[in-house]
Amino acid sequence: MKSLAILLFASIPLGFGADLSEGERLFVQEVRPLFAEKCLACHGDRPNKLKGDYDMRTRATLLKGGESGNPAIIPGKPDQSPVYIAVTWKDSDLEMPPKENDRLDKNQIASIKKWIELGAPWVKAETSAHLSHENKDGKVTVKTSGGTSDAWTNRRYRPEDIWAYQPLTKPEIAVSKKTKNPIDAFVHAKLKKIGLKPASRADAKTLRRRVTFGLTGLPPEDDKPSPDSWEKLVDELLASPRYGERMAQHWLDVVRYADTSGFANDWERPHAWRYRDYVIRSFNQDKPFNQFTKEQIAGDEISPKNPSARIATGFLRMGPWEHTAMSVAAVTRQQFLDDATNTIGETFLAQGLKCASCHDHKFDPIPTRDYYRIQAALAPTQFAEPAVPFQEWESREFEERRTHLNNIQATGPEIITKLKKEESFNRIKKKRADYLQNAFKRFSPSAFAVKSAGAPKTRILTGGSIESPGAFVSPGVLSVSQFQVQVPTSAQGRRRALAEWIASDLNPLTARVIVNRVWQWHFGTGLVVSTNNFGKMGGPPSHPELLDWLAGWFIKNDWSIKKLHRLILTSETYQQCHTPPNPDKTAKFDPNNRLLSWFPPRRLTAEEIRDSMLMTSGELDFTMGGPGIFPFINEEVALQPRHIMGGIAMSYQASPTRSLRNRRSIYIFRIRTLADPSMEVFNKPGPDASCEKRDETIVTPQVFTLFNGQTARNRAVALAHRIAKEEKDQGVRIERAFQLVYGRLPTEKQKAATRQHLTDLEKHHRITKPQTPQPATSVRRQMVAEQSGELFEWTEHLVTETIEPDLKMQHLDDSTRALADLCLVLFNSSEFLYVY
Amino acid sequence: MFTDPASFSLNRRRTLFGLGSTLGTVAFNAMLQESLQAEVEEADPLAPKPPHLPGKAKACIFLYMAGGPSHIDTFDPKPKLDELHMKEFVRKDKFVSAMGSGKRYYVRSPFKFRRAGKSGLQMCENFHHLAKVADDLCIYRGCQGESINHPTANYHMNTGSRFGGEPGIGSWVNYGLGTVNQNLPGFVVLPEAQYPQGGAANWSNGYLPAHYQGTPLREKGSPILDLNPPAGITEEMQRRNLDLLAQLENDHRSNHPDHNELAARLHSYELAFRMQAEVPGLLDLTDESEKTREQYGIGNPDCDSFGRRCLLARRLVEKGVRFVQVFTAGWDSHDYLERAHGRRIRAVDQPMAALIQDLKQRDMLKDTLVVWCGEFGRTPDNGIRGGGARAGRDHNAKAMNILFAGGGLAGGRVVGGTDELGAEAVDVVHPIKDLHTTFLHMLGLDDNKLTYLHGGRFKQLSQTGGEVIKELVG
Repeated sequence: MKSLAILLFASIPLGFGADLSEGERLFVQEVRPLFAEKCLACHGDRPNKLKGDYDMRTRATLLKGGESGNPAIIPGKPDQSPVYIAVTWKDSDLEMPPKENDRLDKNQIASIKKWIELGAPWVKAETSAHLSHENKDGKVTVKTSGGTSDAWTNRRYRPEDIWAYQPLTKPEIAVSKKTKNPIDAFVHAKLKKIGLKPASRADAKTLRRRVTFGLTGLPPEDDKPSPDSWEKLVDELLASPRYGERMAQHWLDVVRYADTSGFANDWERPHAWRYRDYVIRSFNQDKPFNQFTKEQIAGDEISPKNPSARIATGFLRMGPWEHTAMSVAAVTRQQFLDDATNTIGETFLAQGLKCASCHDHKFDPIPTRDYYRIQAALAPTQFAEPAVPFQEWESREFEERRTHLNNIQATGPEIITKLKKEESFNRIKKKRADYLQNAFKRFSPSAFAVKSAGAPKTRILTGGSIESPGAFVSPGVLSVSQFQVQVPTSAQGRRRALAEWIASDLNPLTARVIVNRVWQWHFGTGLVVSTNNFGKMGGPPSHPELLDWLAGWFIKNDWSIKKLHRLILTSETYQQCHTPPNPDKTAKFDPNNRLLSWFPPRRLTAEEIRDSMLMTSGELDFTMGGPGIFPFINEEVALQPRHIMGGIAMSYQASPTRSLRNRRSIYIFRIRTLADPSMEVFNKPGPDASCEKRDETIVTPQVFTLFNGQTARNRAVALAHRIAKEEKDQGVRIERAFQLVYGRLPTEKQKAATRQHLTDLEKHHRITKPQTPQPATSVRRQMVAEQSGELFEWTEHLVTETIEPDLKMQHLDDSTRALADLCLVLFNSSEFLYVY
Repeated sequence: MFTDPASFSLNRRRTLFGLGSTLGTVAFNAMLQESLQAEVEEADPLAPKPPHLPGKAKACIFLYMAGGPSHIDTFDPKPKLDELHMKEFVRKDKFVSAMGSGKRYYVRSPFKFRRAGKSGLQMCENFHHLAKVADDLCIYRGCQGESINHPTANYHMNTGSRFGGEPGIGSWVNYGLGTVNQNLPGFVVLPEAQYPQGGAANWSNGYLPAHYQGTPLREKGSPILDLNPPAGITEEMQRRNLDLLAQLENDHRSNHPDHNELAARLHSYELAFRMQAEVPGLLDLTDESEKTREQYGIGNPDCDSFGRRCLLARRLVEKGVRFVQVFTAGWDSHDYLERAHGRRIRAVDQPMAALIQDLKQRDMLKDTLVVWCGEFGRTPDNGIRGGGARAGRDHNAKAMNILFAGGGLAGGRVVGGTDELGAEAVDVVHPIKDLHTTFLHMLGLDDNKLTYLHGGRFKQLSQTGGEVIKELVG
């Protein structure tokens, strides 16, 4: 196809068409392609199904108009021509094209206006096909493997919409004596242009908190003095194992990590945790990002003997997926292929590919053929659970977990209703047994992985439907990139070639994409806002030169993420305070702070809130890795019946020990159909779609969660207990609470108010003794027997005796309970919840 | 903030002005200077917004029958099946599931049909109550889905996408129209204790801001999670804690005057108190007359649960909630169709009829759209599971019934039709995306304009744009 594209270009007779008038030229180059792209689907392509009886295929019908009977275009008079009025979207009764996605931009609208002014001239298609390639007003055509229509193949793009597919540029840096870090040179140059000054440096305390949360997702360790230099502090944090845990969270958001498969059964994926631990370790080891990329896409083909590389390919299977007796095998297979194709695009290339599964991409130079070329590279990919021995770096702390599962298994469900036939209840028991059997596989050394087998031929699926296979395609990569590789057609090696293309120094997207993600991890917003989409709709980068320079620097520095962090964190731009130095000007010229004249504050993520409370209360267990853990969640949610195929899922049961429950949030077992509401409410994303960026919405249920919910209350109790054990004096206790939660002492005024508060509350606590809610020991289940229509009930017994409880209010004395109230208030306060 | 919900009604007024006033009048106002207050209000994503079109419906009650109710045994009679009953055939599909292959037998409906109302709408006899409001119902028989698996089909009907992760219809509607009652969420879900397949993703906000998420009012236990503090924490203690928090927030805000989110956070605490005040009263159905409760079938074990939730739905809409979705499951009758479907019909018949009558009597039906549907219909045959007396029906995405009432729609009508076996829709056939486009249209929203830029694309409920079903809306 490439050669065909070249041929097309070569066949343009230069100078042909020079005799066309301005209006005719405009028609050929702008207006006709626009009509073809935006209008003909409803007004011409299906002549017997014309919308509004309006046909735009000939000049006569175009001018004549449709069912209204009025002319649609009055040559020379755009303002009286309904076609022009429609594309401006100014008359709400007449807005065309009707979809927001298809709206014309202002240049396109201007072209139509001008063309009508010039008399709406028409040129026959066959005499002018070549002219649309002509370079005019800076627009360009690009070579691809070819679209499904000539109009698409020859489509012209504004260069600023296709920057991401061009090779990296090597921008000059204007380093002055004052700016040591090149990042600042780029940022300051932009600020200067619009007359903004960067903010001053934030104070040391703020910076320490900012960078510690940024790199580890935890607050600074209270008792540890800060190292004497910023660089040392950064290095220390980068060396901390907590660093990999924090970075992995970002990555798992993008790849949609979960421990279950979703949909009707939500089966456990008992080995998925090894992929999670692989990701954490990769960041901690500072594995070069190109290697990290290759392992996830094709670790099995590139280094089949390397256990990490085998485990890494779990990436390809991270999406929700299931096949049941009700499913059609060809359909679920295609779902996997579509999901993997799109995910590789979003994750590494910031190019969602899903659109191109049905049609050539509406905005970006991605033909549907490319979609299936990439899919062909994945076509031999089969699910595999190979035996991969546990490595020394993996947690094999299984005993407590295994015992707990044994205990759950021992508490079988018990029938209440006398059933005529026990078939339905037997199915419940069987399902439970199957779930548990699967759960025990957590401890066996297999990997959630893939392998290559067979060399199936791939066809373009017209409209994305497996029922309409079209032309055959051979495996390939994005054809818009100048850098191309040959992807073999053999069973082995297709993914490897794709992975090597993606992870190559010459790939225009990959380095830019990851550098942009890391930038977002620190500044909240990427240089390109949509970190999963570098196409036209993703918008242009705020600092294109900086992005390219960083990407180039990153490649030169061995794709090292840690080095990249160091570079960013040692910039003045990162160390600015959060106060805009010239707020009026900022509001006017840079209201969204894209140019970074100040550092944007952020709210802690759901995981950071939980982990920080645990760390502050002294409960956090730093043990890393291993099968997912189960903290206490709201009991009503834990025991809520969840419908799965043929029955009700087993109840959520917490891990037996405090040590297991109080691990970092990254280790929490992720169930697709059961979200922990206390995390979800703080914008933990759902595990089904890739999350490029966490939201920070403020909603009322957050108040209920943090003020009334068990998780926050138990952490407050533990913190109060910790402080009360350490200190007796009320004043010192107050200081300690502030110090632990805020990292500072209370002001005199705050201390006085808090003292009063504690004294008042203690009085209440002396009178009101806490009640002791007992955890449920069983739960009653009810369902209609599918086989007989009978309503029946059974009891699900829960494991309680072997569960070590959390410390509760009733374990504390009156004054410590009052202190727990103070701690809860502190956990609810913005000073705790925001990073500046 | 109440330890005992029962004590609520006595304390309601005091609490509203007592507890709420902690932040609401004294500290709260002092903290929020007028300008900031205005900013919060201006930025309020839930403020009511004008519709795109002059839609007749202002609110929607969506009754969702999870499991796939059989159109053939409810509102789409197929006498041809009486002839074919227990005749064997082999289905020839190109893409079949493991359950889709093998011998099948046609199954006649175990129910008798009758014509109801002046319009003579056909429905199965077991709908004793619904027959009384037949002239208010519009039955649409032309809809087709794409998935015969429960969770994917649920996601498709509820969110427009088969794969989950996208906003529910109620989220879109609130995004488009905002909410009238600022003390309550604009999208409320009334699930059964057991959530449907696919879980809470059926009412997720997807990529829309979290304000638009469906808030489930739980059937059992605390209606909203952690609405109340744990037992042993008194109102007084809670109030003092909030006072201290207000002081700390005040200090913090004065140190961070440029940080606007802080005002919004305080605002959320105030909203929480208003919700705490409003929700328990709302759920207390003893406000309603004995007659009303009886009308909805409350107390009748066959339909108590659905009846309560239908009545609650009406109360919510009355209070300004924009979109209420009521879920009830159990329609997946692969076997024992007569018994299983019979039971489900008993569970919904009386409450549905009562809801429509009640809305009408309160003059609310004209601008409240009531929708009844499941994720798909069922096949004219038994599938491959069994035969004889225990015969049931398999899943069928090619045909289903959607019922409408109110919202300005003319009743007593049937739109579209299925083939003589009920195997697939053949008349006024539309995919789910058109149904969604039509829902939105009925609520005054234009699917093509109700878009949200996400991941570089203007996303919409219909995914790729749909058509308004003209035969339905006239």
